[in-house]
Amino acid sequence: MRKENGSGERLAGRGCAAVVAICCATPLMLGAARGPTLQLFPTTVLEDIKETGQVAEQMETGLQDVIARLDRQQQLYVQSKCEGATEDPGCGRIERQLGATYMEMLEIMSSRLPDMERAVNSTRDSLETRLRSELGLKMTPWTLQETLLGNQPENAQAVQPKLRGRSGLRLSERFRQYYTLVAQSGRSAEHSLAVVAADIYLDMEEASTLIAQTREEIGRATLLEELNQSFGVITPEMQQVVDGVKSILFGESGQVIELAGPPPGTGDTAYRSPLEW
Amino acid sequence: MNVTRNNPMMAACTLVTMLAVSACATTPTPVCGLADTRNLDTAIDSARDRLQHGCVAHFDAYMHELLVVAAGDPDPANKEAFSDFLVWTSEAGLLSRRQSQETWNRYFNVKFVSLRGDYNNCAQTCPVRPQVMADMETELADKERGMLQAALDQEGYYRADRLFSETELVLEATCRACEAGGR
Repeated sequence: MRKENGSGERLAGRGCAAVVAICCATPLMLGAARGPTLQLFPTTVLEDIKETGQVAEQMETGLQDVIARLDRQQQLYVQSKCEGATEDPGCGRIERQLGATYMEMLEIMSSRLPDMERAVNSTRDSLETRLRSELGLKMTPWTLQETLLGNQPENAQAVQPKLRGRSGLRLSERFRQYYTLVAQSGRSAEHSLAVVAADIYLDMEEASTLIAQTREEIGRATLLEELNQSFGVITPEMQQVVDGVKSILFGESGQVIELAGPPPGTGDTAYRSPLEW
Repeated sequence: MNVTRNNPMMAACTLVTMLAVSACATTPTPVCGLADTRNLDTAIDSARDRLQHGCVAHFDAYMHELLVVAAGDPDPANKEAFSDFLVWTSEAGLLSRRQSQETWNRYFNVKFVSLRGDYNNCAQTCPVRPQVMADMETELADKERGMLQAALDQEGYYRADRLFSETELVLEATCRACEAGGR
């Protein structure tokens, strides 16, 4: 699907950029040689994350225009006081345009969603394998705890990955952030990588379910709209679908919800008990 | 004398009373209440004294009371006072070394005593994840009493709080991945 939209030159450029980015990120991921480490983000997983972000971006770009048009038509319909004015020829025309645009949105979505679903599922599956192997089977509860703590000195400033709940971000932006988080985390921040991996995995699980539901819903909505030959006004159900698509793809305000940080520490609590583990 | 000889019931009652009185005299009930003080050192001394005199069963209550006293005058040095006290309980043979360590780490260390085990997470933690998280939450409350309220270790406590959140997230994902692998 991506190949249909971009010229060969753009694709080649993008491919080069991806290769360069991955090549630059890999040494960061591998880090200096020291001891056994978490293998949560090998190159294949990084590629999956990157590709999912690109597919999401293409879907957003494709839908942005049609959703904006739908909003304008809806606004015009309301401003023209067309509600209930079924006999008015002008209102009838707007209604038909609305229906057609809505169908266009559904078509774009149904053509893009399989790619999106494949990319999301691929990221989810590779992370699932890594999480099971690295955190589930190779670690005890105690080693997991130590990994999360990162064996840092108490006063060191911890790298805090942003946890889940970042609604309000574009999908592509979310993946860009994921990629940046992973690529910027060196070996010193393995505890953060475990959290980031868990975060992305759970997000992918949700996204996968949501995409499957959306595909079903699109099939149903398309059928209903085809049956309704009149292409009438946007029904509450149609509006709900449009709103859902907007919030999933484009978010609300781009705000990121962060956990509150600790208040300034006392800094003089260096006492270590002989009983401490 | 004639009265008891003539009244067997009265004689039995007298005997029972005498036996009861003599029993009380030979095994006195230990006084296990701590000294009423707001000074942690004095309270710890009192606890040591009581523990040495047959009140070991009251250890948990003493820890609770000592933490209340410490919270009344919070100080980073309180950590050391509790540590010395717990080391002493172990050396005096009142608690095992392991019990002393668990108590110390439960109240004053970032790491969670509730999250331990010798087997992998898929096998050990995931089947009882809700219980593990509930235990960790209870322990976090104990860390709040120890690290934050008694020892003013804000940095340590908030790190433990974040560790709790991170563990919750990571275990949710890991256990789902383990489950998916078993399907």
